[in-house]
This record gives sequence, C-alpha cells and structure tokens, in this order.
Amino acid sequence: MNENFFFKHIKRTLGVLSIILVQSCGTSSIVIEGQFPSPNVNKIPLSIGVVYAQELINFNYVEYSEIGEEEYSIKSGQSHRELFDALLPSMFEQVVVLDSAESAASQEVDIIFLPVIEEFQLALPNKTKLDVFEVWIKYNLRISDTEGNGIADWILTSYGKTPTRSMRSVENSINQAAVIALRDFASSFSLGFSQVPEIRQWLSQR
Amino acid sequence: MSKLKIYSFFEPNVYVFFALLFLQSACTSTTVDEFRQGQTGITTEESVVILGRRQGNEYETREEFVGCVGDRVSSGQDAITVIPEREFIDAMFPWFEPRTAPTGISNLERLMADELVAQQMEEFGVRYMVWLDGFTETSGRTGSISCTAGPGGAGCFGFGSWEDDSSFNARVWDVKSRQNVGTINTDASGQSYLPALVIPIPLIARVEANACSRLGDQLKAFVKGD
Repeated sequence: MNENFFFKHIKRTLGVLSIILVQSCGTSSIVIEGQFPSPNVNKIPLSIGVVYAQELINFNYVEYSEIGEEEYSIKSGQSHRELFDALLPSMFEQVVVLDSAESAASQEVDIIFLPVIEEFQLALPNKTKLDVFEVWIKYNLRISDTEGNGIADWILTSYGKTPTRSMRSVENSINQAAVIALRDFASSFSLGFSQVPEIRQWLSQR
Repeated sequence: MSKLKIYSFFEPNVYVFFALLFLQSACTSTTVDEFRQGQTGITTEESVVILGRRQGNEYETREEFVGCVGDRVSSGQDAITVIPEREFIDAMFPWFEPRTAPTGISNLERLMADELVAQQMEEFGVRYMVWLDGFTETSGRTGSISCTAGPGGAGCFGFGSWEDDSSFNARVWDVKSRQNVGTINTDASGQSYLPALVIPIPLIARVEANACSRLGDQLKAFVKGD
C-alpha cells in the first residue's frame, strides 16, 4: 500500500518535471507590458475617433532560432491600447473609441484613426554580437475623414533598445526594448502628427 | 593518498593565497578629471537632474549607473536634491526620449522656449542638468572552469579571470544661464577572478561601483562650486 503510494508520487513528480523540461525547451512567450506617460504637448482642436483593430490587439510576432525553431513569441496584448489611452487624450480635444470606421458618422468625430503594425523586428545579442536587445516596429497609421476618404497613410517606424548588462532576464530585456520602442512611437506621433504634409494640408483647409 | 591531497587544499597557505587574491581583486584604479567652463553654485530650493545619454548605436548609459550617481549626489552631509531620472523623463515626455533629448545647449535653449516645458522645469526647480555618457566593457577573459555532478555530490574546478573598464563622462548644463559649465571624466579599471575549488569563489572588482562613487563625489563638489 505504502509502496504503491510512493510510486504514485514518484510518477506524478516525474510527470511534472517532464512537463517543465518540455516547456523550458519550447518557445518563450512575452506579452508586452509597460507604463506610458501622457505627452506635454498643446492639444489639437479635433475630435478623433480611434479604431483598435483586432490585428493590432492580437498582434503576435515569432522569432525563430538559427535552426528554424520558434524561440520567442511576442504578443502586443493591451500595450497599444494603454499607450493610446495615455497619448490621445493629451493630444486631442476629444477621443472616441469606435468599434469600426463605419460607426464614426453617429459619433460626431472629425477624423478616424486606425493604427496597424506592418512589421516587427527583433535583434538579439547572440545574433548581432552587440551588447543590446533591439526592437523595431513599423506602423501604418491610417487617418481618414468621417466619410471614409483617406487623409493620410502615415508610415512611422519606432525603435527601442536595452543593454545586456542590466540584471534582467532575456524576456524582460525584450519587453523593455519593446516598451522603449512604443515610447519612441508615442514621442514621434505626438510631435509629428501636425507636421505630416497631408494632415497639415487637411487641417489648414478646415 | 588522494585524501591527503584533498586535505592539502585547506592548509593555511591556501587561505593566504585566497586572501592575497581577494586583496588584489579589491584594487581598482580610478581616474577622475574635471574641466570647468563656468561658475557654479546651488541653493537649497534648487535641484539637479542626472540623465543618461542613450543615442549611441552600440551601447547606452545604463539606468542603474545613472541611479547610482544620483544616490551618491543626494546622500551625505552636503546632499543635493536630485530628481529621479525616470520621474523627470516621464513628466517631460516626449522631450527627453532618446530621439528627442537635447544634444547641445542650443537645443535646450530652443526647448525651453516651449511654455509647457519651461513650466514643468520650473516646477521641478532644476538648476543643473547633468548628462552621463559611457559604459563598462569586459575584456581579457581567460581561464576555464568545469563543473561535474554525480551521485556522490557536485563540484567545480578551474580558474577564470577578466578585466572590466568603465569610462563615463558627465556634462553639466546650467539651466538658469543656459550654459555648459563643465565636464567630468571618470575612467576605472580592475581585474576580477573566479577560482573554483569544489565551489566557485567570485572575487569581483567593483569597477563600475568605484566609477559611480568617485564621479558622484566629484559632481557634488563641482555643482556646489567647491
């Protein structure tokens, strides 16, 4: 009886250990998490309707190892939603979250904003031989009027890096580099929005 | 016979060897030089903000080092109020991000023309802005350590060593007069050892910590105008 009980526990422990071993050999999953400050910029007198597309919220990038195995899986999670929640109210007079671009007409907004990630790149120190983790994110920021006419397709690339010497795990370092890239995006977006020629022209015609 | 050999590791002269090794590892050489371009001085109402340069492609000044220098300047009898880097950068967002931070005093002057920036800076009471730029490099890794584990136990044997070199410079800007008032350069180097006789014994040279404390002390004296 006692022997059975002992073997049962041994089996269970070995089972748990093998799961841990299999998991440790698999893909490391990272969900980008960070805090984003509100920008100190003058507000643009516009009511903006923002559409958070599923492809932005569910964005997932997979980094493959040199032998073609999945190494890191990086998910956007709520990070972009939190970033825009901190960014847009400080930049515009009014911010309305829209379910779709079509619902803009009933919401009395001036412009519709649809951010999309076009490309994501990760550079790891063991591949670049540099002492930094690097992240590039290329966005396509679609801005249109309430009738759906395109005002601008603003392509914005952001960059973030974090040093390897920091006492962080690889996962934390990648997350930190991604958060810095998101901050870089927020910085370029808040300072550059009114400077985009198409947007500037549209603003001047209002 | 083998038992006698193992006991010989614990003879007094082995302790002397480790003590000497430890003393040697504790020695790091640090050089600090100061270049003053203007008069300095600070009142109790005024503060200093210490920021790390992060524009370089291959390295960036670590937040931990910036925090260490800040702690050094804001502690002791003649402590100066230091605004934490992260708090300042977040409050001034997006003006002090790697891509937007002012790289020269003329950029700062342009930035201060913005009403929101000037107001925020006034609230912090920033008198001096210190830009730290540099990194610590590890070189000359030699030796090897091998570890084995078996049913009877585990152990490591071998010897490793490496050299750390830190090089940092601090540029001090007077926010009130919009002037570059000086630069402090710090270079530190030291050798670290890792002997392993059953258990590895790290004898780490505190190169970056020494660079931080010397730079912090010098910066404090510089800002006070001593």
